[in-house]
Amino acid sequence: MKKVLGVMGMVCPFPLVEAKEAIAELSSGDELVIEFDCTQATDTIPRWAAEEGHNVTNYEQVGDAAWTITVQKK
Amino acid sequence: MVQMIITGLLCGALLGFVMQRGRFCLTGGFRDMYLTKDNRMFYALLIAIAVQSVGVYTLVALEVIQISTGTLPLFAIILGSFIFGIGIVLAGGCATGTWYRAGEGLIGSWIALAGYILMSTIMKTGPLSPLNQKIQQPQLPTNSMADTLGINVWFLIALLLAVVGWIIYKEVTKPKVVIPTLKPKKTGLAHILFEKRWHPFLTALLVGLIAILAWPLSSATGRIAGLGITTPSANILQYLTTGDLAFINWGVFLVLGILVGSFVAAKASNEFRFRMPDVKTGLTSFTGGNLMGFGASLAGGCSIGNGLVMTALMTWQGWIALIFMILGTWTAVYFVFIRGRKEKKSKATVQTSITTA
Repeated sequence: MKKVLGVMGMVCPFPLVEAKEAIAELSSGDELVIEFDCTQATDTIPRWAAEEGHNVTNYEQVGDAAWTITVQKK
Repeated sequence: MVQMIITGLLCGALLGFVMQRGRFCLTGGFRDMYLTKDNRMFYALLIAIAVQSVGVYTLVALEVIQISTGTLPLFAIILGSFIFGIGIVLAGGCATGTWYRAGEGLIGSWIALAGYILMSTIMKTGPLSPLNQKIQQPQLPTNSMADTLGINVWFLIALLLAVVGWIIYKEVTKPKVVIPTLKPKKTGLAHILFEKRWHPFLTALLVGLIAILAWPLSSATGRIAGLGITTPSANILQYLTTGDLAFINWGVFLVLGILVGSFVAAKASNEFRFRMPDVKTGLTSFTGGNLMGFGASLAGGCSIGNGLVMTALMTWQGWIALIFMILGTWTAVYFVFIRGRKEKKSKATVQTSITTA
């Protein structure tokens, strides 16, 4: 299953806080697509995913100050 | 005047650039010590303080600059720093953070900045200045930690260096987690400057060096101080509303430079875009900005003036301010992110159970 979490326009640390809550509701192997535009989250979201052991299957910049990252729940 | 404009803007632009690229956010750093138990940015701040401390006291020893640490308005520092700590969480960035995020195009930061500059001016030369002076009146005679303890300041610097060295050692020897990165689209210098993730400790080293550089540059124009944000920010509004050139100093160009530097960094990294917050975020930012201005004016400095510079000078003011602004940050984090989220969640659960019933 793939869930999309749109947190564009949210300032840090809300994108990460929302992502943590969203992934808690998913099952192992499900993917969470996070679309965000907060600059600091380019560091905090992948760091959180790596430290939690989730797999990052996609991470790219989609435009000026806009990113998408896909985290697969471990 | 020309020298002031050039060196001030240059130093500010360097700082804004480094902070934007290095994501040097002290608010986030203080917040995450509590919220995610992550101390990396706090450690980075300690590195920046240590670097600056060595540099500044070397410049003092070489008689390049002179410093006086003055007296200690203890109560104003405690109260002001605590309020400042609450304000930076609501504003989504400390004073410097707000300046550099304004350069990234965040309208919420412009709103916070407006509140911050307005309240600093009200506190410094406006109707609240008598209150400000009254709270600052009880003063302890010595601000210098070395003088109180009757030791050479280099003992304190050596102690800080030992702590920082230990932290770096712990961090370097920690098992590494591979952090996923964006696929590089740039190469060479452009990749390093405008794309690569900077290690917070490297950023801290650069911030420390810029903070050292600020001392001789600013002193050469007659402003005997290092980096400072709050007074110069208020000076802009004071000048704009009085036309009095006495309000223009090196610090004014420093803060304007931060905006320029962070804009250049963000633009070249494809990270600049005007972003309008929703109404609630806008109002929170304005409130936060006002609290920031109120607190920083009382405490005689923000997270840079007190947290980075006065700490490096080994003053009670700097370290006490740092502790209380962190406590203020944690207090706000508790109400905004921990209790606030719980309430929102329990409300959501209630609503779902009603619909299910």
